[in-house]
Amino acid sequence: MDGQGMKRRDFIKAGLLTAAASALGPGVMKPVGLWAATPSIKGPVKVGYQAVLSGTLAGYGEFHKMGAVMAVEEINAAGGIAGQKIEMEIRDSTLAAPTAIQNVRYFVDSWGADLLAGVDSSGQALAVAPVMGQLDRVLMVTHAATEKLTEEEVFKKGVRQVFRICTPTYQDGNAAAFVAKDLPAMSWATINPKYEYGFTTWNMFKETLGKLKPGVQFTAESWAPFGTTDFRPHINTIMDAKPEGLYSVVWAGELITMMKQAKQAGLFEKIKHVMLPVGAAMDVLEGLGAEMPDNIWISGRYFFLYPDTPQNKDWVARFKKRWNHYPAYVSETAYSTMFAFKKAIEAAGSKETGPVIKALEGMELDGPAGKRVFRKEDHQAMYDVPWGLTVSSPNYPFKIMGKQIVIPAKEFFNRPPFEGDASKPPFKS
Amino acid sequence: MNRSWTYILAALGIAVLIGIGLFSSRFILYLTMRVMILSIFAMGYNILFGRTGLLSFGHAAFYATGAYGVALCTIHVHSHPVLAVVAGVIAAAVMALIIGFFCVRHTEIYFAMLTLAFGMMVFSLMWNVRGITGGDDGLSGIIRAPISLGLISIPIMKDSQYYFFVLMFFVVSVLLIHRIGRSPFGLVLASIRENHVRTEFAGLPVKRYRLAAFVISGAFAGLAGGLAVFLESNVTPFAAHWSRSADPVLVSLMGGLQTFSGPLVGSVLFVVLRELIERFTHNWMLWFGLILLAIIMGFRGGIVGSTAALLKRSSEQG
Amino acid sequence: MVQSLVHVCLAGISAGMFIWLVASGLTLIFGVLRVLNFAHGSFYMLGAYLCYTFLRFAGVDFWLGVLLGPLVVCVVGYFMERFLLRHVYPLELPYQLLLTFAMVLIFDELVKMIWGAGSIGSPTVPGLSGSVSIAGRDFPVYNLFIIAVGPLVALGLWAMLEKMWWGRIIRAAASDREMAAAIGVKVPALYTGVFVFGAWLSALGGALAVPYVGLLTTGMGEAIIIEAFVVVVIGGLGSLKGAFLGALVIGLLTSFGTRFIPTLDMFLTFILMAAVLLWRPQGFFAES
Repeated sequence: MDGQGMKRRDFIKAGLLTAAASALGPGVMKPVGLWAATPSIKGPVKVGYQAVLSGTLAGYGEFHKMGAVMAVEEINAAGGIAGQKIEMEIRDSTLAAPTAIQNVRYFVDSWGADLLAGVDSSGQALAVAPVMGQLDRVLMVTHAATEKLTEEEVFKKGVRQVFRICTPTYQDGNAAAFVAKDLPAMSWATINPKYEYGFTTWNMFKETLGKLKPGVQFTAESWAPFGTTDFRPHINTIMDAKPEGLYSVVWAGELITMMKQAKQAGLFEKIKHVMLPVGAAMDVLEGLGAEMPDNIWISGRYFFLYPDTPQNKDWVARFKKRWNHYPAYVSETAYSTMFAFKKAIEAAGSKETGPVIKALEGMELDGPAGKRVFRKEDHQAMYDVPWGLTVSSPNYPFKIMGKQIVIPAKEFFNRPPFEGDASKPPFKS
Repeated sequence: MNRSWTYILAALGIAVLIGIGLFSSRFILYLTMRVMILSIFAMGYNILFGRTGLLSFGHAAFYATGAYGVALCTIHVHSHPVLAVVAGVIAAAVMALIIGFFCVRHTEIYFAMLTLAFGMMVFSLMWNVRGITGGDDGLSGIIRAPISLGLISIPIMKDSQYYFFVLMFFVVSVLLIHRIGRSPFGLVLASIRENHVRTEFAGLPVKRYRLAAFVISGAFAGLAGGLAVFLESNVTPFAAHWSRSADPVLVSLMGGLQTFSGPLVGSVLFVVLRELIERFTHNWMLWFGLILLAIIMGFRGGIVGSTAALLKRSSEQG
Repeated sequence: MVQSLVHVCLAGISAGMFIWLVASGLTLIFGVLRVLNFAHGSFYMLGAYLCYTFLRFAGVDFWLGVLLGPLVVCVVGYFMERFLLRHVYPLELPYQLLLTFAMVLIFDELVKMIWGAGSIGSPTVPGLSGSVSIAGRDFPVYNLFIIAVGPLVALGLWAMLEKMWWGRIIRAAASDREMAAAIGVKVPALYTGVFVFGAWLSALGGALAVPYVGLLTTGMGEAIIIEAFVVVVIGGLGSLKGAFLGALVIGLLTSFGTRFIPTLDMFLTFILMAAVLLWRPQGFFAES
């Protein structure tokens, strides 16, 4: 039957490829590099990008757009990818899984996209991943953080088409624990989102911190549903428990609301150690302005003052000039995605999915956020994002990261094979 | 329209759908499947809404129950797609029976609000029972196994194969819903809509008829949800959210309430319009809203209803 | 423990009064006129954005913003009722739903086009921005202000609807249009008037929400619309007293629920709603 025939053919093709690759080993990379000098790709490189452009989180879509558009402009102005222009189309993902699926199908089957990028929510990323296998196009995830995407879908189920350029939940949960272990707080509580992201990160934080610092206690949990506008009941729960530290991955507008309401309740005078894994997002820092208290631990997927390199400074300046905004983390991931595509296509000498995947696996990328390496096993980009304490600065109308701590990604990212205790930090040497 | 014309139109429609299945691109296939699934949802919904005039604002609960039924059956019980769909439909019908039992005590706005409350309870439940439903991440990677019929098995893995699976359920649903409309049961429902007091005087148990209509429409919602799970290979609790309950209402109203084909036409409009608008603007909500407004102000009674009225008028004059 | 209970109550009462302010307009439009206005949340959103704009760009103070913002929304409400909704009244009820749903889409997109897609952190209100210590824990002055304003609005509305002659006419017209028209009431104009007033109330809720929530987003209307409907239904359609008490109950339920039975959250709200509809459809607080 037709379907069976197709499957067999695909199977043989895949088998041959892997056999060839393993036989030639690293040697195969050399001719690939040579092909790049004489590009064989035909027609423009078409990138389909989706982000949330409507509803309460529409601001994130705008930030995605700024980064992606700027990268496309710069690449095309400098001669494109292997001599070919990038064409990009952006669609509203509305944060709904069915829309995300319709978008990728439209991009690939109707518009003719060669590569895909974007996706904000974890639910959408998990829904889209199996479809990417079916459509056979590379998808670079620029915002969704669920570790299940790379651990389950890519590593265990073998959806090789999916990559992630932003930090996953490890940054929010594990890295936070590495910072927290050196703080003089022995009891922690949380106000976290009442969905998987919140549950996962709090569990990671508890597990890792529990191992790093035996005797630490976790005294209260308050779960805020999506769209909470009144955090006062949650704040009461936390203040009743009297913890020494508060951990919260509440994000975007809700975080602004929560911080304002917590301040009104005098929470920051009672609880000295507050950790906000996504507090360094530009919308939060700008939205709170001077109302963000000092000495709050914040992090993100990228912060525009790190790394302190000429490349990053130059990029931030160009971004500010182009959009009159400081880049948000999704701007950086969107921007770097285009350059990752450029580097991979030029290395592969092709924009076909198979060669591009091969080129991306293990590829190093220098971007504004510093050096990234796409881990071969799970397609997760390894790069460092600092944790830091908020502080006022005369140069900015909002709080920035003062004292910074950088924990190298390889020390706290879960490791393949993602099973057993040894795959989770703290790693035994 | 007389009978033979209906048959000719129906045959033509099926021929076109088969043609799409055989010859069109994968994206058109996908969109057509979306249209058929939404049509099943909306036409089933219209048994309640169009026939008895009860505006339910919680039918997404049954859609989602069907979807989770199919997903859970595939994952935990048996991967046979037909078995899974049947399980999903039964789950949705049972859910509709439980919720309907309470809701049919009221009519009009109270009924709408009651269904909204129950629908949101189901949503909240699906969100919070993480061990079973996967929380907000939902259940993903639901595979379309081949339909095994003893000696032979028919694969439906590819979209071009699954299309005919959906088409089969679509045709069966349309026929069934058509029959229900013409049956004595359907006529009783219509009379309830016109005057429920008189129907009650005629000795008919109005509430029981309403409940039956509620359960049947819930079962079709479950079928739609189940087919959608196989199409998208995933389901999340958002499927039960009130904003999803609005879909069949909008579709029915756009197409025309009192007409049989109204929800069908509405579904095509709903899916295709949105897709077309997004091709030339990012402000799709604005344009979609404006077109909706134009439909409401220009075609009172929906596209089908007003077009039929117009045709009738012109034929009378001519 | 006392401190804890006091603050759970305070949070509940202020949340309840806030919901009441948002839902009071819907009590008129949906409860009394029976217009299924889904765009109620849009009025709320517009009220908030306009108030913010007057504050930020026209340099007026908060109180003037609270006055001016909702007035602009009145104009929007007038045009919507007079030129769109009025033509749908003769059709079946669900068409109002479709029309107002279309308006929600349009308003959301317009707000995004005018004010940008990003969320906006709101400025603090001078004079009402601090906190006072109650039972040893800080409580924001602005929330005390909301707790005070809620009953005032309720009293004003009650006086207008129950005590003054035109309140009775509104009720009469809503329950029997033909009869009211027969005794010389200009029913369409009356509907327009009440609708505009309802729009003003929800925009007022939005304007007052600016410092309360501390944030403006393009989807803020959808976030409150269901809760507003719940309040109106629990109170009994058209009952001011019911909606007022209903809002208070919802606020306290959420506050106590979050503190003591956190797994249930919104499940509680909808159970209450269903229970009221099933056993006391005339409203939880109505005299039967």
